[in-house]
Amino acid sequence: MVAGNPAPAVPANDPQDTTPVGVKRGKLGNPTLRYILRRLGLYLITLWGSLSASFLFFRMLPGDPISGIISQLQTRGQYTSFERSEDMVEHYQREFGLHGSLFEQYVRYFQRVLTDFDFGPSVLSYPTPATDLILRALPWTIYLIGVSTIVGWFLGIVLGTLVGWKRRTKWAEWITNGALGLSHLPAYFVALILLIFFAYRFRLLPSNGAYDSSMNPSWSLEFGVSVVRYSVLPILATIVVAIANWMLSTRALVVSILGEDFLTFANAKGVTPRRLLTNYVMRNAWLPQIAALGMALGGVVSGNVLIERLFRYPGVGNLLVDSVIIKDVNTAMAVVTLLIVMVLTFNLIIDLIMPLIDPRVKFES
Amino acid sequence: MFLTRLYRESGKFRTGLLITLGLIVLALLSPILVQWRIGDVDPLKAGAFPIFADPDGTHWLGTDRFGRDVLSLVLIALPVSLTVAFLAGIISTFIGVVIGFVSGYKGGKVDSVLRTITDMFIVIPTLPLVIILAANTRSLGSVRLAMVLAFFSWPVAARVIRSQVMSLRERPYVELAELSDQPDREIIFGEILPNMAPFVAIGFAQASVGSAFALVGLTVLGLGPSSQMDLGRLISEALGYGVISLGKEIIFIAPVVLLILLFYGLALISQGMEEFFNPRLKGSA
Repeated sequence: MVAGNPAPAVPANDPQDTTPVGVKRGKLGNPTLRYILRRLGLYLITLWGSLSASFLFFRMLPGDPISGIISQLQTRGQYTSFERSEDMVEHYQREFGLHGSLFEQYVRYFQRVLTDFDFGPSVLSYPTPATDLILRALPWTIYLIGVSTIVGWFLGIVLGTLVGWKRRTKWAEWITNGALGLSHLPAYFVALILLIFFAYRFRLLPSNGAYDSSMNPSWSLEFGVSVVRYSVLPILATIVVAIANWMLSTRALVVSILGEDFLTFANAKGVTPRRLLTNYVMRNAWLPQIAALGMALGGVVSGNVLIERLFRYPGVGNLLVDSVIIKDVNTAMAVVTLLIVMVLTFNLIIDLIMPLIDPRVKFES
Repeated sequence: MFLTRLYRESGKFRTGLLITLGLIVLALLSPILVQWRIGDVDPLKAGAFPIFADPDGTHWLGTDRFGRDVLSLVLIALPVSLTVAFLAGIISTFIGVVIGFVSGYKGGKVDSVLRTITDMFIVIPTLPLVIILAANTRSLGSVRLAMVLAFFSWPVAARVIRSQVMSLRERPYVELAELSDQPDREIIFGEILPNMAPFVAIGFAQASVGSAFALVGLTVLGLGPSSQMDLGRLISEALGYGVISLGKEIIFIAPVVLLILLFYGLALISQGMEEFFNPRLKGSA
């Protein structure tokens, strides 16, 4: 990593010197273990809470999903009668898990999802299971979000540190002001502007899809190039805003660190400016930004839904909008559940590795 | 009053306020301006004028594919966008103030429960839920739409308020009031609330920006309510019939420029106020 030497690892099973004064040594005397258990508990509670809330949310939506299914079948000519027979309705209620009381549906929903990862059939391409549709779309979304988050975060931190370090120079000021300007725009707006210039005006890059439609997905170089070409604009839109935001927050962190006593001391001790920057300033700046990455992911995932839609990129965001339009509750629910689980799990992982790389974390309550 | 000093001392706040007020005035005058430009014609009526006319003396911004005057369209769309964004800002500030206040003032268990809920709303991606809600209730009016948006943007305001209440609680005059056994109600309304005004305003500005982002996001993709014309929907329509390939960028640029002004105006207001009331932030961003 950029910070040079890795931070000293905290001895996980040796609470002797890490227990701060005043921490009660009960059954779980080990602060690391206690931290992990508390974090896991919070994860499960949040997961259960947000999934239950989204279940209720979907069940309370106005409109009747069954009539959505039937009208969908009608448009495809599979079912032509305009009168919905009782049997028909009951059959679909059973198939889509909509029979019984709300509580029964709730229990069944959790059972199905937890045991088989089954969200029921989709309406979008009935009778394909919603799970299949999602698994097909997921790699594209992970690709978009993964690349733009990691690259945006990394570049933002490097730039932010430099701009903070050289904050009295003219160029640093310009870059900061530029970033300030960009940070006030939503990513889909940047996407819109990129779309106008690069796809429509100059026709340099494709405006929709994930690869050339005349190709078949394969592991060939040609196909890979096509995938990259089609993803440049959607990724760029997210990255530009991400860099600006990470840069500004890193800069703020760096500027606040620059006033710290330990830097004055290290400077007086004769540490070279270069070492000061990499080992003292940067290390203190990027550690909190790892924790911030988890908090920011939800926003990125939200923004990505709009970007995928704008570019008709075949990820889960686009799938969500498609399913919402025809009231495909199962698919929409599956996408929302998946996104929530993804974001919460990512946050859990970050919180669990934080005490390993930043010894200050585990003592915070 | 803190506003006059703020206005005098913060350039960011001044610029932001002038931009936002300019937009509000434009929105308020829009019926008169539309009347002046195209008379009694309904701006949304298709075929009122020749299609795709270039900008000239009669149609300052030209006309669109349906022969509608672009300037008038933008003028009637602006108040809709502003109303929804500000209404959502007001509602989410209200929720945020209540939750942030209880959380920061009560502390302890109440605080940790409320904070967990607030954090949950911040961490999980809520925009998909907004999209679903908006799409399932296509005939939403401005107020209902604002309520939907507010439901998902209140955590920002709640956070600002909570941290401020917590810091105000520690002030000597509040402690004095507590020691002298004043009831909670009097402490809240007499001691803390008057000092919260700036932070309520910051929360409002931030919640409005958040709501405007979400609103425009919905309507640009054509997912907003179909009953109203707002700036995002104008962009969505313009993209839909390919104005760029036709070389009629102005139809698209006009709403984009107004939205950028709105985003910047609100952002500068909230940033200017934050720097003014939290001087530590100055120079750090």
